[in-house]
Amino acid sequence: MQIQRVVRDLVTTKRNFWLSAKALRVVEDAAGNLEVALDPIGAKPGDFVVTIGISAARIAAGNPKITTDLTIGGIIDHWDEHRWRD
Amino acid sequence: MKICQVEGTLVATARISGLQNRRLLVVKERGSSGKQVAVDPVGCKPGDWVIAVGSSAARDAAGSKDYPSDLTIVGIIDYWDEATGREQAS
Repeated sequence: MQIQRVVRDLVTTKRNFWLSAKALRVVEDAAGNLEVALDPIGAKPGDFVVTIGISAARIAAGNPKITTDLTIGGIIDHWDEHRWRD
Repeated sequence: MKICQVEGTLVATARISGLQNRRLLVVKERGSSGKQVAVDPVGCKPGDWVIAVGSSAARDAAGSKDYPSDLTIVGIIDYWDEATGREQAS
């Protein structure tokens, strides 16, 4: 799992059937690279989150048929920019 | 499997139900600067050198095929000498 920060919501009206009605967020890693993650819990922009990758991302999404390779697994209670970039 | 050093516990109260109440640890892989988060079914202390499995083996290692983990700690290395990158004789 990775520690990433939610940047903003992502709206895609036309999308794959297995992604329908799922919230998507743009997340960044410590180096500033942007990725898109599926969000089953409702993280807000600025939240530090734990993201789950590869095949576990599909299980984390609640249904192995959901086509995702990055899913938010939890919101971190206490984390700061300094520990993240270090 | 990856050789990692445990940095500390990660507290995430709001989490998906699939993660249950398992302990999450911040770990640093040997030879890389980035931090990762691993599920800890073993019980490690900060500073421990551990071995961790990735990909789908991480799900099995966490206890069941349905557990959503992509990095799981599977063992604590008894003696690790970081200077030589070898397990110490004793």
